[in-house]
Amino acid sequence: MSNMFQGHRFLGVLITAAAVFLFAYGAAAAAADPAEITVGTLYASQGAFAVSSMPQYQGLQFWADQVNRNGGALVKAYGKKIPIKIVAYNDNSTTATASTLYNQLITQNNVNILVSDFGSVLTSVAVPIAKNNKMLLFDPTGTGASFFTADNPYLVLTSLPSSGIWPTSLAGFLLEQKVARIAVVYAANDFDQSQAETLRSKLGEGGVTPISYQAVATDTRDYGVILRNISAQNPDAVVEFGYAPNDIAFLQGIQNGGYHFNMVFCVFPGQQFSIIDKAVGDAGLDQTYTYPTPPLYGFNKVNYGMGMNDFVKAFEAAQKVTNVNFLNIAGYNAGLVIQKALETSASLKQEDLRAAVESFSGQLNTLDGAFRIDPATGAQVGELLPVAQFQTEGGALKPVIVYPADLATGKAMYPAR
Amino acid sequence: MLEFSLLAGILFGLFFGLVGLGLNLVFGVMRIVNLAHGNFMMLGAFGAFWAWQLLGWNPLVTVPVQGVAFVLAGIALYYLLVPRLVGLKDFDMISLVLFFGLSQVIEALGVIAFGNDPHSISRPVFGRHPLHFLGQTFPAAWAVSAMVSLFLIVLVYLYLYRTRAGYATRAVMASRQEAAASGVNVDLVSAVAFGIGLFLASVAGMLSLFMLGSVSANFGGGIIITAFAVVVLGGLGDPVGTVLGGLIYGIGLMVMESYLSSWANVLPYVLLVATLLLRPSGILGKEVRHV
Amino acid sequence: MRRTRLSRIGLTASVRDIGLVVLIPVVFALLPRVYNNRLLLFNVMVFFTLSQGINIIYGFTGYLPFGYMGLFGAGAYGAALSVLFLHAPAPVAVLLGGLTALVLSLILSPLLRLSGAYFAVATLAASEIVYSIISNPDLTPITRGPYGINLSVIFNPTASYLTMALITGLAMAAVIYLKRSHLGLSLKAVRDDSLSAEMAGINVGRQRMLALAGSALFAGLTGAAFAWQISVFYPDSVFDPSISIFAIVFCLFGGAGTVLGPIFGVAALYGVYNLIGITEPQYFQLIYGVLIMVLILFLPEGIASLARRAGRNVL
Repeated sequence: MSNMFQGHRFLGVLITAAAVFLFAYGAAAAAADPAEITVGTLYASQGAFAVSSMPQYQGLQFWADQVNRNGGALVKAYGKKIPIKIVAYNDNSTTATASTLYNQLITQNNVNILVSDFGSVLTSVAVPIAKNNKMLLFDPTGTGASFFTADNPYLVLTSLPSSGIWPTSLAGFLLEQKVARIAVVYAANDFDQSQAETLRSKLGEGGVTPISYQAVATDTRDYGVILRNISAQNPDAVVEFGYAPNDIAFLQGIQNGGYHFNMVFCVFPGQQFSIIDKAVGDAGLDQTYTYPTPPLYGFNKVNYGMGMNDFVKAFEAAQKVTNVNFLNIAGYNAGLVIQKALETSASLKQEDLRAAVESFSGQLNTLDGAFRIDPATGAQVGELLPVAQFQTEGGALKPVIVYPADLATGKAMYPAR
Repeated sequence: MLEFSLLAGILFGLFFGLVGLGLNLVFGVMRIVNLAHGNFMMLGAFGAFWAWQLLGWNPLVTVPVQGVAFVLAGIALYYLLVPRLVGLKDFDMISLVLFFGLSQVIEALGVIAFGNDPHSISRPVFGRHPLHFLGQTFPAAWAVSAMVSLFLIVLVYLYLYRTRAGYATRAVMASRQEAAASGVNVDLVSAVAFGIGLFLASVAGMLSLFMLGSVSANFGGGIIITAFAVVVLGGLGDPVGTVLGGLIYGIGLMVMESYLSSWANVLPYVLLVATLLLRPSGILGKEVRHV
Repeated sequence: MRRTRLSRIGLTASVRDIGLVVLIPVVFALLPRVYNNRLLLFNVMVFFTLSQGINIIYGFTGYLPFGYMGLFGAGAYGAALSVLFLHAPAPVAVLLGGLTALVLSLILSPLLRLSGAYFAVATLAASEIVYSIISNPDLTPITRGPYGINLSVIFNPTASYLTMALITGLAMAAVIYLKRSHLGLSLKAVRDDSLSAEMAGINVGRQRMLALAGSALFAGLTGAAFAWQISVFYPDSVFDPSISIFAIVFCLFGGAGTVLGPIFGVAALYGVYNLIGITEPQYFQLIYGVLIMVLILFLPEGIASLARRAGRNVL
C-alpha cells in the first residue's frame, strides 16, 4: 500500500510541475508580441441602415488597407509596426442580432479593438455590452445623446458631434433669417428625436415656437399624408429629421404633391448626396438645406492621415467609385483615431487606450475636422456642422455653406423661388 | 379635411376590398385561410415593377399577363397541396400551418431575389392629371386603382352569379359534399377559385405600389392581417361583405390619418380583434362555427 | 417507472422526469465555464422555454398562438416599467413581467371560443396592437415609445442568466406535470374531441384558458429575464414575429405534446440558425418554411413521432 501511495505522490508532483510549467509558458506566450491587431466591427448589408453602414465599413477597410500597405500600425506598446486585421459580421440592421454579434466579437474573437456599426440605433446595444466587458467602444457615428454618461469610460465618439449639438447652427440660421412659421417632423428614434428637441429648445431661447412638431415612425416611406397636413398650416420652413430613406421619401413626397415651401431642410443630403440625388434628382434637391459634411467641404490642413483631396483621390481609385460620401470619411476617421491611440497608448489594455485618446483630444486635426472629446463622457464636441443650401450654378447643383458666417461660402436664397 | 378623408376613404376602401376579395374567395370555397395571400400580392407587385423597369410596360398591361400566370400557378398549387388534406380531422390548423410555411418560403425567396429594399414606380405612369372631384384633389393613381378594383369586384360578382362555373363555385361554397354528390367536380372548381384568388392578389399587389407607397420583399407579413381584418369585418364567405369591410376600413384609415395619424397603423388590428371578440361572424356573415 | 410520493397530488413522476427538471438548468448554469458566449447560451434557454410554452398550448389544446411574441414583449415591458416606475428589484420585476403576460392572456381568452385559424391570426393582431401602443411616440413618457428601454440600473448578466436557467427548469416541470396529470389528460381529450369532452363533464373553456395562461406565464417570465439580461432594447426587438415563429417551428419539429420534442427541436434547429441564419436570416427562413410544409404534410407529430415509431418511449 505504501508503495502505491508513494507512486501517487510522485505522480502528483509531476502533474503539478507540468501545470506550473505550462502556466508559465502560457503567461510568457501571452506577453509576447501579437502577430496582428484585430479590429472587430459590424456592418449592415440589408435593412434600414445598410445605405449608411456599408460606406462606413468601406471607409474603415480602406484605412486598414492603407495602414497595412505601410507595414502596419505603429504600436507603441511593442515598439514596432503590427498589421491590422478586421473581423466583421453582418447584423442586417437588427439590434437583437447586433447584440449577439458584438458579444461574439468580444468573447469569442477576443478582438483588440471594438468599433460599432453605423448610427445610434445599432451602437446603442453595443454600449452596455462594451461597458460590461470593460472594452473601449470606438463609435464612428452613433451620436445619441443618451449614450454619453459620466459613469462609462468605455466609449469614444470619433467622427461626428453628438446629436444634441448638431442643430445649433440650424437654429442660429433660422433665427437669423427671422423665419416665423416652422414645421418640424422627425423620425421616432434617438438620433432624430434628440435633434428635434435641441432645435425646439434653441428656437425657444430665441422666442420662436414651431407651429407643428410631430414624430413619425422611422420606417415611414410615404410622407403623403404628413405633407398634406403640414402644408395646410402654411409653414415658411419645413425641417425633416430622419435617416437617408426618410429624406428620400420626404423629398419625393414634396415633388409628387407639388408642394412649395420657403425652406426645406433634411439631414442626409449633406452626408449622402449622390444616393439622394439619384433618387430625387437635381430638381428635388434644388434650394434644399442640409448639414454639409466632408467631402462637401473639406479640411486639407491636417496633422494626421490624409487630407480631404488626397483621400477622395485615393479612395476613388481604390474602390473604383466616383462618389465619396461622408460615411466613407467617418469610417476612415475612426481608423485614424484608432491608429493614433495605438501609437500613443502604453499598452493594449482598454483603459490605457482610452487614456491615450484623451491625451491627444484637442490636438488631432483630420479631414473630418478637429477631434476633441469631452473627457467625462467620450462625446465628440469638435467637428461641428454648419448649414448649407444646394444652389444651381451654371447648370450644376452645388452646396453653398450659408451659416455660420465664418464658414460661409455664399448667401442663402431665402425664401426659395 | 373631413371631406377629403371620406372621399379618399372610398377610393382606398375599394382597393382594400380587392385586397380581401381573393382571400375571401379562397376561404369560402376551400375553407382555407391562405396566409400566403400577402406574399402573392408581393409577387404581383414585383412582377409589375420589373415589367415597368425592364420593359417599360404600363402596370395595367401586366394585369392580364400576370393574370394568366397566377391563375395557372394557383391551379397547380391547389392540386399539389390541397387534395391530400381534405378529410383530415385537423384540417383547419393543418392547412393554416401549411400555408404559413408557404408564406415563409415565398418571402424568403423574395428577399433572396429582390433584397429588402422598398421598390416603387416613381414616374407617374397614369398621367400627371390629378383627379378633381367634389372640390377635392386626388392623385391620378388613386382613381385608377379604385376603378380597377371596382372593375374586378364586379367581374368576380358576375362570375359567381352569372356563369355556370360560378354557380358551381357557389354550390361548393355552400356545401362541399352536396356539390360533389350533385356531380360537380369539386377539385377543379376549387382549383380555379384558388387561381382566381391568387390573380386578385397579384392585381392588388400591383396597385399597392401606388396606394401604399412602395412594396418590399417582406410586404406580405404586414398586409395579410389587414386583408384578414377586412374579410372578417365583412363576414367570411360573402364577397359583398368584403367590399363593405374594405370601405369601412378605408374610410376609418383615412379619417384616422388626418386626425390621429400616429395611431392610424393600429386600426386594422383593432378592427380584427374587436370583430372577433364581439361579433365573430362579421357584419354580413353567417354564424361562425364555435368549437 | 418508479412511482414517488408525488403520486398523491395527482401525478406519477419518474426519477427520469425529476432528473430532467433538475439537470437541464444545472447544465446551463455550469456551461459558461467551458463556453463563454453567455449571450448565445441565454438565447438557447429563451427558445427552449418559449417552445415549451408553445408546447403547453398547442401540444395540449391544438390552439396555436401566432402572436406569442406579444406575450414575450408584454413580459419584457412589464418588467422594464416596474423597474423604471416602481423601482422594483430585478427578481420582482421578472415576476411582474410574467404577471403582465398572464393578464394579457386572460384578456385574450375569449378568442379561445373560436376555431383555431381565427385564434391564430387574432393573437397576431393582438400582439401588433400591444406593440403599436408601446412603441407609439405619444406614449414616450410612459413606455419610452420607440426610443427603447435602458435598464442599466439593474444590469447583472450573471443573475439574469441564472434566473433564466431557473425559469427553464420550471417550464420543464410544467410540461412534465401536464403530461402526467389529470389536467393534461383532460386537455388532450378536449383537443381530440371537444364535444365528447364537454359531454363527459370537462369544462372545456376553463381548461383551455388554463393552458393559455400557463403558456403566457412562461412567455412573460422569459421576456422579463431577457429584458434584464440585455438591458438595452427596442420595442421591435421583443415584439419580433420571428420569436413566435422560431418557438413554433422548434416545437413542431421536435414534436408537440411530448416532453423531449421541443428540446430536440431547439437543439437541432437553433444550432442551424446560429451557423447560417444569424447574418443571412432569409436562408434560414427558407429552410424552416420548407420544413414546416414538409412536416405538416408528412410528419405532423414531429421528429418525436419517428422515435416513437421506432419503439422508443419518448415521454
